[in-house]
Amino acid sequence: MRWAIDHTSRERLQDQIASCVRRGVASRELPVGEQLPPAAELATALSVDRNTVLAAYRQLRDDGVLEFRRGRGARVVSAGPPLSAVTEAAQRLIATASEHGLGQKDLIRIIKELT
Amino acid sequence: MTSPRIAGAPQYAVYTGRTTSWPMVAATCVGALLIVFMAKDSNGNWGDLVFVVSLILVAIGVLANVLTASSIRAMAGPNGFTVRWGLVGWPRCTYRLDEIEHADVIDLSSWRVSYGLWWTPKRTNCTVSSGPTVQLTLRNQRIVTITGPDPAAAVAALREASAGAPPDLG
Repeated sequence: MRWAIDHTSRERLQDQIASCVRRGVASRELPVGEQLPPAAELATALSVDRNTVLAAYRQLRDDGVLEFRRGRGARVVSAGPPLSAVTEAAQRLIATASEHGLGQKDLIRIIKELT
Repeated sequence: MTSPRIAGAPQYAVYTGRTTSWPMVAATCVGALLIVFMAKDSNGNWGDLVFVVSLILVAIGVLANVLTASSIRAMAGPNGFTVRWGLVGWPRCTYRLDEIEHADVIDLSSWRVSYGLWWTPKRTNCTVSSGPTVQLTLRNQRIVTITGPDPAAAVAALREASAGAPPDLG
């Protein structure tokens, strides 16, 4: 499972960490029942505060993606929406962009500006 | 892997993975049951040296399995490669980026699987299954082999974390 975060991004670190988990769940890299790394270990590796990781995990728990069990850490409980929904939305975006004469680079630039 | 990414760098990419060895978990359960049965049928045997030594050996085997062979957690990134063994994540070992000369994915044959922690003067094996496996060559020429669910991603994270990586890493 790959975790990538950008400390200079405008997006909150906890949201970036939660996004990593959602991506992992959607791509089935994190199957149901998979245990996530302990918050302290992940925080050290990503050079963030432990509370930031815990906040991301809590956010995912509240969304029904994770569950916490005493002594067993955080586990994936929901497979989440499949990536196909995102792929379909991306295909619609590409088609719309093409109608307006925008290419791949323009789309990437727009997405980067928005995120 | 000469120049590790400096602390405080804006982008962090980290790989994490856990591999559980179910045959070893089963062996641990069998060993634990053996201890229970041996202790239960121990009427008058506690003075028997062979019985006590056998019990201690089985207990050591179960403990070693629980600590080092049941599962392996690996983490690769700017802090190097960290391996945590067993259900409790201890013992653990970290190989810093500046200690690693190069990292590769190898295809581990089944007869070379160590099923837990295995240390020799030139090698450290932390493998619980055959197939694609991470192999680190340290600067002191020690070879470390570590099982992980996605070894290619682990090596990629290490390479990404290392700025100015030599060509054999790139």
